[in-house]
Amino acid sequence: MIIKDVVCPFCGCLCDDLDVEVDGQTIIKVQNGCTLAEAALTGNNRLPAPIRRTATGWEEISFDDAIRETADILLAADRPLLYGWSSTHGEAQSIGVHIAELLGAVIDNTSTVCHGPSILAIQEVGHPGCTLGQVKNRADVVVYWGCNPTEAHPRHMSRYTTFATGFFVPEAQKDRTVIVVDTRRTESAEIADEFIQIERGRDYEVLAALRAIVRGKGSILPREIAGIAREQLFRVAEICMKAKFGAIFFGLGLTMSSGKYKNVRNAIELTDELNRHTKFTISPLRGHGNVYGSNEVFTWITGYPYAVDFARGIAFYNPGETTAVDILRRGECDAALIVASDPGAHFPHAAAAHLAKIPTILIDPHRTATTPLCRLQMPCTMAGIDAEGTAYRMDGVPIRYKKFLESSYPDDADILKRIHDRIREVQGS
Amino acid sequence: MRAVLNTGRNVPQGVAVEHKGSPDYRAAVSVCHMNPVDLMELGSNEGGHVALMSRAGSVVLTTRVAEGMNRGEVFVPLGPYANRIISAETHATGMPDFKGEPVDVVPTDEPVMTIGELMESIGGVWYDH
Repeated sequence: MIIKDVVCPFCGCLCDDLDVEVDGQTIIKVQNGCTLAEAALTGNNRLPAPIRRTATGWEEISFDDAIRETADILLAADRPLLYGWSSTHGEAQSIGVHIAELLGAVIDNTSTVCHGPSILAIQEVGHPGCTLGQVKNRADVVVYWGCNPTEAHPRHMSRYTTFATGFFVPEAQKDRTVIVVDTRRTESAEIADEFIQIERGRDYEVLAALRAIVRGKGSILPREIAGIAREQLFRVAEICMKAKFGAIFFGLGLTMSSGKYKNVRNAIELTDELNRHTKFTISPLRGHGNVYGSNEVFTWITGYPYAVDFARGIAFYNPGETTAVDILRRGECDAALIVASDPGAHFPHAAAAHLAKIPTILIDPHRTATTPLCRLQMPCTMAGIDAEGTAYRMDGVPIRYKKFLESSYPDDADILKRIHDRIREVQGS
Repeated sequence: MRAVLNTGRNVPQGVAVEHKGSPDYRAAVSVCHMNPVDLMELGSNEGGHVALMSRAGSVVLTTRVAEGMNRGEVFVPLGPYANRIISAETHATGMPDFKGEPVDVVPTDEPVMTIGELMESIGGVWYDH
């Protein structure tokens, strides 16, 4: 059977045009998807049943026991941390926030090690963004800064920019100018009309130089900035100012490098300067399928997009203090619930090591690098495969995940709801 | 050799990311991409092993030539190997220095650890059933 218009849950593009061929409970073919989509949908590395760590290894346990033990661990903790949330749907994320509020816990999502700094910059100077549909139909200049969409978001260029035909851009490859700015000559750089290779960690200077040129103050610039000839920056600034509609996409090259959120702030302010000449927008390339959704859900419930601390009985937000890596690095939390993410693989080891010292519970369909660090793990459905729900694309457009396979696994929202209800029952709230 | 560490996504890492115990994932994320001249000056060949040492720790990786890399810069796909040498310091931003950690790179005959060994070295117990 072929299921049409399946939404790929892997990356923030949330491509919603996949055709998936299913034989019984097995996905045998994925059409229209990229390499990453095919691997995500056809892979089979599911944990068969809940497991608990023992003195000598691991034992299987029932969901009832695992849920009861999870609630007991979280209730007994003074400073529980609830982390992850970006590879599941909004319905599960919402219950997670309510559990955090009941417990007085800290809840953080994966944007903390992804586009958290972008959010900090947006909170300082705003977000002149737009939907991907606008970019597809209007943008004649596209800038990819500190990102490599060819490898991280493989269909971004073919669906929305370089190779996508749009209403006002009928011949994409001829009508669009693509500029890539990076420290490495990546595959994305190879297909750019203009590639600016920056010395590592000096994005802020180049952004500031471009702002100066756009402001008409280019004469003050030195001959070379961050390894780039001044003439190239003049050329690129002119391309941008002459655009009918320009779109900047940026990645972790800005958020993870020296300067972090200040780099992003400078990029937003460059966009601001360009809007004195033409229409220009800027947006982050979001990683996990529903990481944007975790920011949305956290914000509409608590007022804050990530790193929310309920210890005071109200929502408190102070990235750098209430962010997951900092809490783990300080050895501050005494229990952790990890949902739909893998800090064992993606946190610095000094932070991940603390998860092994405390009772850590993992709710995730797969055996991950966090599995060895946890006290118990419960497998669940995969949002977008055997569970439906709401996800947010990288441009903030909500898209409904389809459920196209039946499975015996519980939805993570159902597991979380049972933990939530158990906590309320014990608390008498 | 003194270098600056860059980490990030690539296709092999993304394809194998849901199979953390697999040989494909280990092969995808335990590599150090280097400028060919840097590799030559190091006296190593592609496929040889190097130890990367930072303020946070050290890790042994397999080298791979990357023509597009600047000299003095190395790239390791994000994952548990790169995170062995990334400091948990966030400078009050919540974000570690995943791009920009200074490292020393030296050739070595030491083996590349498995993911299980990496996780057990920080207190984990590998689950492999």
